[in-house]
Amino acid sequence: MSRLLVRTHGLGKSYPRSHRSADRLRALGRLLGGRADPDAHVVLHDVTLDVHRGESVGIIGANGAGKSTLLKLITGVLTPTRGTVEVHGDVGALLELGAGFHLEYSGRDNIAMAAALRGLSARELEARLPDIIAFADIGDYIDEPVKHYSSGMVVRLGFAVVASLAPDLLITDEVLAVGDESFQRKCVRWMERYLAGGGTLLLVSHSMYHIQKLCRRALWLRDGTVAGYGDVHEITQAYLAWHERNSATAGEAATARAGLEFSLGTIELNGEGGEAPASIACGGRLHVRAPIVSRDGRVPIAMVGLVRADGTPVYGVSTEMDGVTLRADADGRYVADVAFEGLPVLPGSYTVRLHVLDPEGVRLFDTQERGLVVRGESREFGLVRLDHRWAATQERGHG
Amino acid sequence: MNVAKLAPHFIARELRERYRGSFTGFGWALLQPLLQLAIYSFVFVQVFKARLPGADAPGYVPFLVVGLWPWAAFSDAIARATSSIQDNAGLIGKVALPRAVLVLAPCAASFLLHMAGFVAIVVALALAGKGILLAWLPVALLLYVPLFVLAFGFALALAALQVFVRDLAQVIGQALMLMMFLSPVFYTRANLPADWQGALDLNPFTFYAESFRSLLLGYGDFDLHRLLVACAIALVALAAGHWLFRRLDPHFEDFL
Repeated sequence: MSRLLVRTHGLGKSYPRSHRSADRLRALGRLLGGRADPDAHVVLHDVTLDVHRGESVGIIGANGAGKSTLLKLITGVLTPTRGTVEVHGDVGALLELGAGFHLEYSGRDNIAMAAALRGLSARELEARLPDIIAFADIGDYIDEPVKHYSSGMVVRLGFAVVASLAPDLLITDEVLAVGDESFQRKCVRWMERYLAGGGTLLLVSHSMYHIQKLCRRALWLRDGTVAGYGDVHEITQAYLAWHERNSATAGEAATARAGLEFSLGTIELNGEGGEAPASIACGGRLHVRAPIVSRDGRVPIAMVGLVRADGTPVYGVSTEMDGVTLRADADGRYVADVAFEGLPVLPGSYTVRLHVLDPEGVRLFDTQERGLVVRGESREFGLVRLDHRWAATQERGHG
Repeated sequence: MNVAKLAPHFIARELRERYRGSFTGFGWALLQPLLQLAIYSFVFVQVFKARLPGADAPGYVPFLVVGLWPWAAFSDAIARATSSIQDNAGLIGKVALPRAVLVLAPCAASFLLHMAGFVAIVVALALAGKGILLAWLPVALLLYVPLFVLAFGFALALAALQVFVRDLAQVIGQALMLMMFLSPVFYTRANLPADWQGALDLNPFTFYAESFRSLLLGYGDFDLHRLLVACAIALVALAAGHWLFRRLDPHFEDFL
């Protein structure tokens, strides 16, 4: 059995533009003649990806970035326009809603059909049917036509079928978003067990919580191309930071019209520039530095903050609070420069934010942020390591 | 996961679906052609006073039955299968499966239902003493094999084209009607002017209408040479339909 489960090479997908019936006729002529479509809409471009057995990969990206298209290509529902897909194992896929259910049939009939589609014999199905029905947990609805189901019930049933088959590769597209809390927990628990048992997972989700909980690696798709592939924390950080910047740019346009009096350059963390998240050891030193341009030469107020990946603020402080005044260099440029010795936050993913305000500390002019990964192994709870001492022990414990 | 393994499931589903919700259930499969037969018998026997040429000519009703039921299987299969890919768009977009099975299911279901009806009514006519050569029935049923292959070939091509040309489903109903009237279902070759009689052989269904009658009614001769030609045509239709389907199959999802 090969370790490699999925390999895509230079994978690309274009959709034809077919709004009018004349377009379809032209497309038909092109396909029969074997010619390429000149004005097809490219949704996925040059995706090269290897997934090994036992890996769990979260696929993230904005709406329309090509996540679902990629999953459909791997599942075999779509045919690539360019490149190749190899899958060395059986695939259980839950693509968007429905899982290919027939609306007029009862849940039970649909389970039978889905099982047949996945190559299960009647006897195997009979053995698994009670488990499937128990997992779906939709009560008497199992004998009602699927058209009477809520979207949550459809997903319950779909997941129950896929779960009972325990495929080599499980592909789910925004499945957790539809189910209620208890079903989400059930799915997550099932997926964790499945992964622990050596299963391989491709998960599309907009919930970074689920991605980080279930996946070791993440693939970030941006406008149909791979923007990043690697450790889940680094990639989700970079993705969230990109989102923040995007919404900040939207806001900035308005500020720029009003005249940006103060603006921030990119943040250096421990001397490293760039956009990738910086990484420090738990309890290490963090040095944050960024240039500030003051249009009128007035002295700005800088504020630095640290927030956890889920948005929980950890700490924030400004020059004004600390009674510090920034000093300009010869070019009239200010520099926000602050160091944290022995940063006590627990291991995890964080965002460092810098803000620049006017001298009165009233108006916020610019914001920059960088991802920060705090490395380390720890079973402690919470955000930060508080200095403490247990009285009951002989040894003087620390942490 | 291959077509042969999936086909029984899809055919069973198709059969259930076709008569689900109707009061008579499967009875409708027999009832519908019977009603059709009643209408045609009324029009042709009572109104037009249709007479078959020849001294040994059978009655018009057995003549019609033996030609009309195979036609019903053939045309029903094609008409239903044409929209089969489009009708299953939801499944195609969610599950990877050999799509030819989606075309096979309605074709096979139509043939099974109409063959069952055919056997029932032929036996009924034989019991009523209408001059049916019942011993030849098993041989006559074998004729359904090339007829099915022919229909499936057409169906594959049409179902694939229907994805791109949505008007096809409407057009195909009319085209089948035309094909029926251009084949000797309601008349015999001898009813046509001498110049046109040869043109009848251009219609692939002509062979089947005439051969069923020759076998079951002893009306006209059964020509082995024509059987071979019909089988060849059926295989060519299947090959062509399969080629077109294979060619367009990867692009269905883009246009559904």
